[in-house]
Amino acid sequence: MSEEVKIIERKEIPRNTVMLFGFPDVGLVGVIAASHLISDLDLTEVAYMDSRLLPPLIVLHEGLPHSPIRIFGNHDVLLAVSETAISADTIYPVMHALIDWGRSKNVKMMISMSGIPVQDRQDIEKLKVFAAASSPETLKVVRDEGLEVLKEGYMVGPQAVMMQYCANTRVPAITLLAQCFFKYPDPEAAAALLKELKKIARIKVDVSKLLEKGEEIRLRARDVMKRTQQEMSKMKKTQEYDIPMYVS
Amino acid sequence: MSTRRRRSIFEIINEYFENLEEWTERFREGLIEKPSWDHRACTMEPLRDIMVAPTEVIVTVDLPYAEENRIRVKPVGRDTIEIFAKMKRKIRFDDFGMTHYKGEFQTLHCRTRIPIPIDIDKMEVRFKKGILEIRLPRKHGHEIPE
Repeated sequence: MSEEVKIIERKEIPRNTVMLFGFPDVGLVGVIAASHLISDLDLTEVAYMDSRLLPPLIVLHEGLPHSPIRIFGNHDVLLAVSETAISADTIYPVMHALIDWGRSKNVKMMISMSGIPVQDRQDIEKLKVFAAASSPETLKVVRDEGLEVLKEGYMVGPQAVMMQYCANTRVPAITLLAQCFFKYPDPEAAAALLKELKKIARIKVDVSKLLEKGEEIRLRARDVMKRTQQEMSKMKKTQEYDIPMYVS
Repeated sequence: MSTRRRRSIFEIINEYFENLEEWTERFREGLIEKPSWDHRACTMEPLRDIMVAPTEVIVTVDLPYAEENRIRVKPVGRDTIEIFAKMKRKIRFDDFGMTHYKGEFQTLHCRTRIPIPIDIDKMEVRFKKGILEIRLPRKHGHEIPE
């Protein structure tokens, strides 16, 4: 693990689980999905990140300080979530440290939860969820479960770093991307993603409460979304709209 | 062939101050950090976005809890719109678990300046899935005659 990023364990960490990632990105899809998983599956904090690369902030919950990047879990799943937008220049060390830590716990698959922005999102009734995989074997798993594959395009942000690093280190990894708003928190997209996640991660999750609380989440998430927009702009997130040039 | 009218010194000064005002407004909106709420005015600031298309400018605003029939879109001058949306319920800091601030909010409010010339009188408004969409036709200042 990198010297500049430490992961401090608070509890015994289960082994051979899947590891999920929910980081601030378009529509805050990953963070909203992660928050819902924590409450619905009753996940507890098992570890947290400590690093001078992170902004000098803590998150207070019930009067106690917490790192903005924490890992929750139970016997079946580990979930890394960030409560603050991560700047472009810290994404690499942060993601590499989390993946290295996950490998040390024999994580069997890494799954990143995020969104893919679409224009006229408010006119779409049934949101599609796309998937990308780190290897041909993992891509087969995605196809076998009936998920739609994101065949060509650019991916920018934490999930891009995760996919590349997992491909390099031969860890099976999948990124799930739900159609969403670019700049607005999108609980419906998070719900659509969690429905597809059930197929891949074999997690039982009920999204009805998430949908019921949609307006509350949108109001509450405005500030995180605004800060995330600033970081997305710095990392040229709009490149995901670009048409890639074919290089064989 | 069209001839260009020479502008008076007053027009030039006026334009200079208009540009300065625009720059100040952009600076204020973009760089100065401020809370997304105003407890004195009892308002919260919604997220918004502006998209410039070839024939129109589309402004969208995320209005959670807004009541459709209590949304007001008001033109301010030639290039700014102001949005007020009454929420279905009062929101308090307590609702977010925050006890160190006091205040309650029942209105979402924002002011948005449109960066290019538009015909503000022809704006069209719709509200779907909690998103307010305002379409403003673009004014094309210079057209090449046939």
